[in-house]
Parts: sequence; structure tokens; C-alpha cells
Amino acid sequence: MIKRKEGSSIKKITSLDEALVKKYAEEPFEFWGPTPEEARKIMVNKPKGMVDKRMTLKEAVQKYIHGREGLSIGIGGFVNTRPPVATIHEIIRQGAKDLTLCFQSSSICPELLAGAMLLYPEQITIKRVELAWWGYEVIGIAPLLRHLNAKGMIRLDDYTNYGMSARFKAAAMGLEFIPVRDHGGADMELVNRGVMVESPFTGKNSYLVPACYPDVGLLSVTAADIYGNCRIFGALCTCPEIAMASANTIVTAEQIIPSENIRTYPNLTEIPFTAVDALVEQRFASYPGAQYGFYWFDMEHILMFRSASDEFRKTGNADKLKKYYEDFVFGCETHDDFLAKLPYKTLKKIRDMDGGQPIILS
Amino acid sequence: MSEYTPFEMIAYTGSRVLEDNKIVFVGTGLPIIASMHAQLTHAPGLGMIFESGPLSPVLEMGMPLSVGDTRACRKAVYLKGLCAVFELTQRGHADYAFIGGAQIDMYGNVNSTFEGGTYTEAQTRFPGSGGAGAMAANCEKSIIIMALEKRRFSKKLEFVTSIGYGDGAPDYREKAGVMGSGPYRVITNEALFGFDEGTRRMTLLEVAPGRTAEQIQEKVSFELLISPDLKTMAEPTKEDLKLLREKCDPDGYFLARKVK
Repeated sequence: MIKRKEGSSIKKITSLDEALVKKYAEEPFEFWGPTPEEARKIMVNKPKGMVDKRMTLKEAVQKYIHGREGLSIGIGGFVNTRPPVATIHEIIRQGAKDLTLCFQSSSICPELLAGAMLLYPEQITIKRVELAWWGYEVIGIAPLLRHLNAKGMIRLDDYTNYGMSARFKAAAMGLEFIPVRDHGGADMELVNRGVMVESPFTGKNSYLVPACYPDVGLLSVTAADIYGNCRIFGALCTCPEIAMASANTIVTAEQIIPSENIRTYPNLTEIPFTAVDALVEQRFASYPGAQYGFYWFDMEHILMFRSASDEFRKTGNADKLKKYYEDFVFGCETHDDFLAKLPYKTLKKIRDMDGGQPIILS
Repeated sequence: MSEYTPFEMIAYTGSRVLEDNKIVFVGTGLPIIASMHAQLTHAPGLGMIFESGPLSPVLEMGMPLSVGDTRACRKAVYLKGLCAVFELTQRGHADYAFIGGAQIDMYGNVNSTFEGGTYTEAQTRFPGSGGAGAMAANCEKSIIIMALEKRRFSKKLEFVTSIGYGDGAPDYREKAGVMGSGPYRVITNEALFGFDEGTRRMTLLEVAPGRTAEQIQEKVSFELLISPDLKTMAEPTKEDLKLLREKCDPDGYFLARKVK
């Protein structure tokens, strides 16, 4: 057993309920997704040939998510940058129960799942969330997170953005845990599943966070060849780590590029084909989020969804929120159907707002 | 003297606090604006880090609306992801953390997790730590923006999201395993605070023109230390306001709070 320390002096200043702190401290640890050994075994047993991984999003979700209860889903991107929105829509259409969500900072993806859980609980339920941040930045806090938390409907496991990123990184490294220089001395130390231990080298306090291995990682990337070698431009966020951490991945790429290009500049590959199971070529896959080099985020669309969500939270009136799902999620067979419902001018505007960020497809 | 809004005063004061040839790890909103203003005036050598991945971008496309905005990557010199930039902070590359929050106590600990109710069933759950907890732990000095209200300058936080000086004990941060030296400045539109070296308690350094230390104390739930060298806050000049309004936040997202 690890040598647990009394920890920092957080207990001198915390306002948290003692019984809750005790309960969390005594809770035996278990990975909420696969264990390191299980994740490794899944990887070892995969065929490693360079094969065409392309399929439709419907096929990808059917294969890796549909009908499997209690999955842990890693959500890529960072707030409005490269959220895997197309895949989240398809998951809502096909249904998934008892989900564990894990991400560092996310906006519309967990909100879409939360709204689906509140309106269509026979379709989607979220059991718990391992996170650093869930909100809309300049647009405001996340109404549906606020609602679910106020009603005690989901378990939250709070880390910092580095904590969550390091947890994915640890899993990408095949580890059980990783020491980090944050969380200590803050209340996250008392509520999350990390532990303060004594460094075996110096005896100093060192905070360990457990690795996070999702069952399925959802990534939206700039470009990939048909085998799933991915390039990402703009901020990488924690996408390479999430891809390597996950037992399986569903990757949407804005554009498929020749494998010859990948081989010309292998340094530009951020995720190798071995870490990609399903590859979907999908334009505007992150819409209403942004894809660097292709389109900026659509604030108006996000505001529309958020205000419908906030109205539901404040008044219980779900009409507008339901209409959103009926129009844009259930009323569409594919992400292209969703895009077809948007005015051309909207897509043109966000394309222009990107400002031609430089990406390399050659 | 020109008319200015509370947010403009905060952004201007934030800019004043930042030194040239340092690296500031910025949070969304006023920290970005303050850093842009500093770069345009007294600190052209100031570099910014955004947590999604970029180091020292050139914000020529305008103010990024959030730290995850793709515009924050423009002409960066180094662009990776969250692990890379937070590891820079652990290793000592980031001089300042520039964050906000919902509540702060006398030792500069900050809450940005929830208010009211309990952790498991909160009246108002906020987004959570995001980068703030890591920035406050490992950037060398933390600068915190807070609205000057009694309920925000709190005796006891409901949740400690970002570490300050804890209970004020000299070894609090060391025992927490963090690397940064801790809270440096707290910025409001009516007062600028620092921290006393001996006791690590929040200390009033400057008051806005026309305000007194007593008036500031009335808006704070805990007892403030008052600097023996209490100063008056500098006000933004016409040129500063022009920069803030036309260059930094021309659409008024944060200075005019248009969205909310």
C-alpha cells in the first residue's frame, strides 16, 4: 500500500462537511473506466495493420458505444476548441446509459448530454463526471451542470485542468498514477480521488492523481490519412493524450489527406494510427465549436442552446430545449443533415471569422 | 480626468501590476485585456501563456474571447497543449498567474467551485477550477481579480479551489506540495491589495481617488492590514482608455459586459 500522508493543512481551513470528506477518503479506489491492465490488453489484442479505418459516425457509435452500459467517455478539445459535437449528437441519437464523462474543460458537449439526460432519460444518463471545468466562458456558466448538481443527480470528481490532463497523460504512458504539483492545500484534495503521499526520495508531500483511461475517447482533429494518423493544428489541448489513454477512439477529421503527406512530415503526426479505431471524415464536426484553420465558434448558436437550457433550469419549461433536440439532434440522421439546417451565411461567417489560421495539409 | 467604468479601472490596474519581460499565464476576460494593455504600453516584452497551449502569441486578430479561443494561438512561438504549458509553470517559466473567482479570504485562497448549499448539492455550481487551481499553485505569483463586495471578501470560503497562503502558516504551501510563492496582488476597481510578508495577510496598498481605507474595510468581511504607505490608485488616462476600448476589447465583451 502507498504511504498516505496526513496531507497538507487543508483541514485547518476547509468548510466541507466532515462526513462527506470521511466518506470520500474511505471509499476504496477503483478505476471508473478500464484498469491499466485491461486497457493494455485491449490495445495488445487489436490488429495493428495499416487498414482503412473510415466508417460513418453511425457505424462508429454503433460499434463502440451503442448498447454498452456504464461506459467511460473521454471528451477531447478544450471548451469551444475542437469539441467532438458530431459524435455527441450521434451518441444521443443512439442512446447510452450510466455514462462516466471525463474531460478537462468542456462546454456544449457535456451540456448536450446533460440536456438529453433531463429530457430523455430513457435515452441518456450520466452517472458521474471527472472534470476540471464545465461552462461557456464569456457566455456564462453551464445551466444544466448547475441543475444536475443542485439536484444531486451526478457525482462530480473535481481536478484542475492540469490534473485532468496529467491523468490522461499518465494513462497514455501506461501508468497507474502521476505526481502533480497542484490540488494540495485546496479542497479538491479532499473531494477528488487523488492522494497526498510521502515522496519515497525526499519525504516531502507529493500529490498523486490516478490515471484516467476512458473506454472510448472522442476526438475532433484537423486532418488524418485513411489509417488514422492525425494532424492537429492550433492548440493540441489534451487530444493526443486522450487518444492514447482511451481503450478505443472515435475520431472525426475535417479532411482526409494522402498518407504520402503524413510520411513526408511524420513529425506533424500528433496521434498515430494505432490509437485510432474509427475514423470519420466530417466537415464542421465541432460546430458550433471551432476548428482552427476551418471555422471559428458560432456564439449565436451556443447562446440559443444555452438560453433554452437556462430557461428550463429557471422555470422548468422545456419547450425550447426540446425543440432544440427535435430540430437539431433527433430530427437529423447525420451531422450533414444538422449542417443543412443552418443558413449558408452562418457557415460562411464562421469560416471567415477563423481568419485563415495556417494549417499544413500537404 | 476621463470617465471610466469599474472594469476599465480593473484592467488598467492589472496592466500596471504586470512587469516587462515576464510571462503571465492568463485567465479569460480582464486578465487578457490587462496583459494586452501592458504589452501596448509599458511592457512590450511581456509574454502570455494560454492554457489550451500557446506561449507568447501575437493577438493581432483581436482579443480572444476565452482562453480556448483559436485566436489565442495566432503567431505563438510555441504551441502544444495543456500538459506542456502547465508543466512550464511547474518548472518556473510563468511569473504570474492572473485569475478571477467568486470568493477570496484574507490569505488569498480563492473559491471558484460553488456557492450556497453543499459540494454535492450546491445552490450555484460554478464551472470549477479549470486552470485556476494549477496556476495559483505553480505560477510564481498570483494576481487575483475580485469584485469588492462583503460576500466575496469572505472570512471563510465555502470551497478552496485555488491555493493562497492557506491558514497563513509559513509552511502551508510547502506542505501542499506546490511550487509557486503565492498570492501577490488582489485587484478591484476601488482598491489594490497585496500581502504582508510576515503574516501573509491581505494588506490594503492603494485606494481609488476619493475613497478611504475605512470605506474599503466596510466592504471586506475580514480585518484588513493597511499599508503604512497607503497610496491612491492611478487612473487610466485618455490614451489608456482609447487603447482599452479600441484595441483591447473593441466589442465590449468584458469592459462593457455586453453578453450578459
